[in-house]
Amino acid sequence: MDSRAAQGITVTGVSRSFGSVQAVRDATLAVPPGSVTALVGPNGAGKTTLLLMLASLLAPDSGSITIGGHDPVADPQKVRAAMGWMPDVLGSWPSLSVRASLEITGQMYKMSRLAATTRANELIGLTGLETLADRPSRVLSRGQKQRLSLARALVHSPSVLLLDEPASGLDPAARVALRELIRRLAGEGTAILVSSHVLSELDEMADAAVYLADGTTASAERVALAGASARSWRIRSLDPDTLAGALLASGIVGSETDHLGTLVHVDSEAAAADLLARLIGSGVRVSAFGPAVGDLEHTFLDLSRPESTRGAAS
Amino acid sequence: MSDTRETTAGSEPAPNAAPNAAPNAAPVRDYVAGLWLVVTLELRQRVRGVAWYVLLGIFVLLVAAVTLLLWLSTTAWETGGGAVFSAVIFFVLLLGTLVSPALSGNAINGDRDIGTLATTQVTLISTGQLVLGKFVAAWITALAFLAAAVPFLLFAVVLGQVSAATIGISVLVLAAELGVISAIGVGLSGVVTRPLFSIVVTYLIVATLSVGTPIAFALLGTATKSEQTLTAPAGCQDPATTAEIPRFDHYWWVLAANPYVVVADASPGVFDEYGNPQDLFGWIAVGVRQAQVAPDLQGHSPYCNSTGQYFGEDQLTAREVYDSTVPSWFVGLGIHLVLAAGALFWAWRRTVTPARRLPTGRRVA
Repeated sequence: MDSRAAQGITVTGVSRSFGSVQAVRDATLAVPPGSVTALVGPNGAGKTTLLLMLASLLAPDSGSITIGGHDPVADPQKVRAAMGWMPDVLGSWPSLSVRASLEITGQMYKMSRLAATTRANELIGLTGLETLADRPSRVLSRGQKQRLSLARALVHSPSVLLLDEPASGLDPAARVALRELIRRLAGEGTAILVSSHVLSELDEMADAAVYLADGTTASAERVALAGASARSWRIRSLDPDTLAGALLASGIVGSETDHLGTLVHVDSEAAAADLLARLIGSGVRVSAFGPAVGDLEHTFLDLSRPESTRGAAS
Repeated sequence: MSDTRETTAGSEPAPNAAPNAAPNAAPVRDYVAGLWLVVTLELRQRVRGVAWYVLLGIFVLLVAAVTLLLWLSTTAWETGGGAVFSAVIFFVLLLGTLVSPALSGNAINGDRDIGTLATTQVTLISTGQLVLGKFVAAWITALAFLAAAVPFLLFAVVLGQVSAATIGISVLVLAAELGVISAIGVGLSGVVTRPLFSIVVTYLIVATLSVGTPIAFALLGTATKSEQTLTAPAGCQDPATTAEIPRFDHYWWVLAANPYVVVADASPGVFDEYGNPQDLFGWIAVGVRQAQVAPDLQGHSPYCNSTGQYFGEDQLTAREVYDSTVPSWFVGLGIHLVLAAGALFWAWRRTVTPARRLPTGRRVA
């Protein structure tokens, strides 16, 4: 397994433009084997373009990529043998059954007919498509197509997995199953890059995050800064009036109250801890106290803000 | 499902992969296996449908009706099976050229539209296998129409007067022509982004070859004129005459590029005792080959000889023209094969991944 240490995904200074539109500029990231990295960024930030380059479909204008130790431009066949890609566009051969689609995909990876059939059965079980296995794929719902697309990406047991919006269209149970599957594959040594907009979900399954904004990956310092910037904390109290009074007494202004509790802006985690101590000290009965948004979402929102207002409160 | 990670990519071969996945084990067999996988997928995906069988049924009915009507009308003229055969072959070519572009013209861009092109391209199927596989599938589909028409061609044999060689060669050339149209359709579907547009362009190319070539031939030939001076031989009363004559001999290859001409010219010429062609194909072949003959610009008037008598029997018979000229179908089929190969190569260039330059408005996936 030592030979795999240099594998996974590495992206160094990659850029790509379409005509005058610079979709990705100077993107740099690394996903080591056995880990899950979230790729987040606003719409049009270049996530799909970056994934297409990783999937050996699009050549970068500059920079270098390795997937499983191979360069997708110089040696696409080796990369394709090692990489599974789940696109954001749900394409399936409409008149073929789920089983036939997976079998043909297996054979496209040079599996024998028998091996492809066995693997198709495994994946049908893995993605919970048993009852639909022999139906043509055009009757599948969006979420079911999404599962078929995931199964297809896993046909050849890839060591690198690229998932573009894998959770969209899935019901809550399927999302949990997807999360568990992704964690298990990572546990078995797969390098996984997931792009998604469901940030709370990525929070639960990703080991690391890469922020892509205007085609550029945010540097580690900027991410750290954004993560440390002022954020909203949600406080719920059994006695809202006392809470409001105590907050005013602590010098907190601009707090707003909704049906879930009171939102306050606090500069840092330390300041939040101090505030909680003061509230408890002044006899407010606090039932919940926590960040209003997840870590990823907070960082994402801060990085997506225009440069001038970014981290203004910190 | 504990074995999802039993294979690792890279230098070591995957344990559950076929033995022939090993590098250089059998590259050709491997390539053909992948190609055939694309062909079967394409046939299962595109062709297998009720609509296709209905179309084939209508085609058979039309050919049957045409054969019957031709037989009834030609037996009245006592020309036998030759005319029936020629007409049925042309009818199959006509319907084939009408059906093929619709079946092949969205092979690649149609897949891109439904999102299955990129998912195939990330597998170990190469772009060459993908383009060629789609071409072979489109060709097989077109050949199904030819196969359905074969019983009616055999009917011409039963009627007699058509040799087995004529039938064999005509069917082979017809098959090649259907392949050319399929290749152009598949090629354009890889070049043009929108399926509707690539189908229309394929139809326009078929129309250019079928209808455009005779028009271009006629216009080019008559626009290019040479001065011909015919002098009367000694002893003849006629004065020397000068006339502008069209130079069709420069442009015979334009006409040769017509698929109907290719099919007609390729069939072995059968002539009667007066040197006249026995079937429609023969007349077309003679007409096209006549165009190869360059006019004599400084000749003698053919109507008068040294004895002062007028005559007009110096003309070559159709058979003599046919035998003295080059078969034009080589040229026509050659032009078609270059077009077909060029279209497929262009499609390959436009579809190959990782893509460097994308046409405006095209997505990879």
